[in-house]
This record gives sequence, structure tokens and C-alpha cells, in this order.
Amino acid sequence: MQLRRIAASALAISTVLLATACAGDDLASDDTGSSSGGGDKGTVKISGQDFGEVQIVASMYEQLLDAEGYDASVQLVGTRDVYMGNGQFPETVQLVPEYVGGIVDYLNSTVNGPDADSLTTPDADESVSAASSLLEDKGITLLDPSAAVDTNAFFVTKEFSESEGVTKLSDLKGTSVVVAAAPDCAERTDCGKGLTDDYGINVTQFLPLGFASADVFKSVADDESQLGLTSTTDGTLESQGMVLLEDDQQIQPAQNLVPAVSTEWLADNQDVEGILNDLMAALTTEKLTELNAEVSVDRAKPADVAKEFLTSEGLL
Amino acid sequence: MSIFSEVWDYLADGSNWTGTGGILGYLIQQLLLTGTALLLAVAVGLPLALWLGHVGRGGFLAINISNVGRAIPTFALLALLVTADWPGVATFGPFGRAGIATLIALTLFALPPIITNTYVAIREVAGDVKEAARGMGMTGWQQFRRVELPLALPLVAGGVRLALVQVWATATIAALVAGPGLGRIITSGFANNYYGKGIAGAVVVAVVAMALEVLAALVQRAIDPVPTTPTTRSEDAPQTNDLPTTA
Repeated sequence: MQLRRIAASALAISTVLLATACAGDDLASDDTGSSSGGGDKGTVKISGQDFGEVQIVASMYEQLLDAEGYDASVQLVGTRDVYMGNGQFPETVQLVPEYVGGIVDYLNSTVNGPDADSLTTPDADESVSAASSLLEDKGITLLDPSAAVDTNAFFVTKEFSESEGVTKLSDLKGTSVVVAAAPDCAERTDCGKGLTDDYGINVTQFLPLGFASADVFKSVADDESQLGLTSTTDGTLESQGMVLLEDDQQIQPAQNLVPAVSTEWLADNQDVEGILNDLMAALTTEKLTELNAEVSVDRAKPADVAKEFLTSEGLL
Repeated sequence: MSIFSEVWDYLADGSNWTGTGGILGYLIQQLLLTGTALLLAVAVGLPLALWLGHVGRGGFLAINISNVGRAIPTFALLALLVTADWPGVATFGPFGRAGIATLIALTLFALPPIITNTYVAIREVAGDVKEAARGMGMTGWQQFRRVELPLALPLVAGGVRLALVQVWATATIAALVAGPGLGRIITSGFANNYYGKGIAGAVVVAVVAMALEVLAALVQRAIDPVPTTPTTRSEDAPQTNDLPTTA
């Protein structure tokens, strides 16, 4: 009796495991999309943070490199710490779709401590050259930054914007608002501290609801909070009846899209620089916002969206 | 080693305990949540499970329904409740943001251990004891009140105790929807790379969990109708001394 029960539960558990294993396979093959490149120029590992925009850009990298005879594969992870730590990038991962401010701040705070003075400014090239020695030590080369910028941005409902006459953040000076934002917002100079210190907005409460999450939008839509945190390339704003407020005092560092490449690998594969620079030149904030909307609103697959863009721009 | 000193520094700084966003406020909020959720679960689950155990029917259904409840992730339930129009994320008095949603999720989470333990406790009272009670002419109510309940009480109390500690520790998930409780300290600490704060929050939760466990154990011992240590008692107070002397 006892034995039969153990056998039965073992069977049940193994069935479940098998089922999840199969499901995992399906997802994985969906993600990689078209990775059937020639492969005569060797393999390239692309990593990055796993959210819509990076999924699209990483897929663009992958398809462009595959077309040039590389064998590229994409593996996206949760946070920057994962691919920057443990000898992954730039050792075993060669290429990462990055943001200028994101990577510079990361290197600065990991090397010089969390309280180090910020190296980033609202200007992309300035920020990159300020971090040149950090990048060199780490063995990372940043290619040309794109004109496409993905910074933090705050949105309000259309009704609020119209009835209060608010189109830029400085219009809110001296007013009391509740902010729905990522949990780390309150302490950041490009987020909560910027609102209070630079803009003089009286933030009565920070609701830690995540970055541009459904909860943030719901909270603002329900008028529980007035300001919500998202990015400048959020493609869902219009369909949700929200408008961005202009960052007229420029508290945001330059978060231009930029390919971060392993310096050593780039020296052996110099044609990559031209390929990716062409892509960065083709991207703008508006185009990126449209592509994001295709994924997040129309539920298109990132790989398909990337392919369509590359074809229409004549890059593929 | 530095992470421990960071934790200690955070806990030792009095300003971290008071004011808005202080440990104390969240601690009281979470105690209130835990207590209310447990009371609700006891009010719903205990009578039901006692009755089912007594009549000895429907237990299969009750236990399995409440076990399905155990299989549903409390966080999924909470996320579902806050996106619904009701209860949503409305602030509910001292329970804070999403107070009702959190209460419902925690109450449902507390039900399985209470129902399962209580039902089994009553069911497992030895058959010959119940038969003897019936043989003495006890009615169903008397049998339940004077035989089954006293014998089952330790296990019933065990279920409530288990629920108490589980609910207390689980209440931290409310922070994931910017809800009430000490989870807010933990999530804010980790989100800001301030691990000392995050771990300090977890330490407070763990210490209070142990305190609640000890407190519940003391209460359980106090209400246990069956003396557990008859031998030591007779040693402490030899019966012969109390015997009345014959005149």
C-alpha cells in the first residue's frame, strides 16, 4: 500500500516535470527566433535585460550578425547584475544592447562605490568619455550611441494634463502629488529626488508599484496617484489615455541606446562596428516607441518586429 | 561581515523605527492584519471543521477544497484581488493600502491548516471512547462538548498556531502590491541595493514570528484540559499531606 502510494506520487511528479520541461523547450525556441546563420565567422553571445525593448534590439543584433555570417544567440536575463557579474560580459558574452547612462552608472557605482559622484550628464558623448577609463579597465567598448533615447519619464492622465494645464514637470512646482514608481525611485536623482529637489514638487507619497507596470497605470488612472513612472519609449501611453510630461530641467542622464561590445572580440571582428553603427543611426526615439507598441499593445513577437524594421530600413 | 553590521546599524537607529515608513508602524499594521485574518479564518473554519469532524461526513470535501486553497499561490490571489474593481487597492483604515485584498488573501491562506487539523483532530478521537460516551447516555452535543473537544483540543490549537505563524510570515507579500506590513521594509531595502535594510526587515519578521510561536505555545499549554505531567505533579505535592486526618 505504502509502496504503491510512493510509486503513484513519483509518477505524478515526473509527469509534471516532463510537462514543464516540454513547455520550457517551446518557449526557448520561440525566443531565439531565426538563429540559422551561416556561422563561418564564429559564435556570438548576446545578453541583456529581459524587457520588450531590449528583446527587440537584441533580436536586431542577432539577425544582422546572422546575415553577415556569424552564429549569434540571444540570452536575456533579469537584471544588469546578472550579465555583468560572474565573468559573463565581456568574457563569455560578447555583445549587449545597453543604455549609455545605465552602463556608465553601473560601472561607476560598482567600481567607485554607491556614493560616488555621477559621471553621467544629459549628453551621451560626454557621459561615454567621462567613463572611458572605467570601460577600458573592464574591457568594454561602447560603439556610437543612437539618437534613440530611453530615459525615465513621468506621465499623467490626459484629463489631468488638460484640466490643470500641465505639459512639463516644472508646471507641477509646489503642488502636492502621489507618485507611482519603481521601488528604487524615491532615492534616485533621476527619479524621486529629482522631482523634489530640482522641480520643487511636493511628493506626499511614493507607491512602489514597479517600473511602468500595469499597477502603476491603474493607480494613475484611478487617481490614487497623479504621476506615474515609465520610459520615453513607452508605446502604450496613448492607448491608455496618458501623456508624458517634458523633463524641461533635464534631470535625466543620457540613456541613448548603445551597443556594448567586448573590446577583445571586437578587435578580431571589426566589421561588427560598421553593422551596429548603421543600426544605431537608423533608430530614433519615435521609431523605437512605435516598435515597442507593436510588441506591448499589438502583441507581435519581438523577432518579427525587429525583422520588419530591418527590412524596411534596408539593413537586412 | 559588513552586511551584518549594516543590519545592526539599521536596527539600532531609532529614527528607522518611528514616523511614516518606520518599522514600528509597519509592525503594528502587520500584527493587525495577521490577527484579523486569523480571527476571520478561525470564525469561518473552526465551527465548520468541528461540525464536520463530529458528524464524520463531508470531511473529504472540506479538506480537499481547503487544500486546493493551499495550492493557489497567495501572491497570485492577492494580485488578482487588487486588479479587480472590488476590493482593489483602496486604503482600508489602519490596514493601509489594499487592506481588504490582503485580509481576504491571508484569511484564505489561514484556512487550510485550521480546517485540516481540526477535522482530523475530532475524527481521530478513539472510537471506543466515543462508544463509551454514548453508552453512558450522552447526547450528541454532550459527547462533542465533553469528550471529543477536550481530547482534540491540542491538535486543534496546533492548527491555529501553525496558521498564526504562517500568516504572519506570509503577510510580507502585501508589499509587492505596495500594501501594508513589514514587507515594505524588505522590498524597499532590496530595491535600493540597501541590503542591510532588507535583511533588517526580514530579521524583525523572523523574531516576531518566533515570539508569536512561543506565545501561542504558552496559550496552548494553558488551555490544554488534559494534564500532561501527572507524575511531576504528584511529586511536587504528595497526596498524603492533603488527606484529611481521621478525628
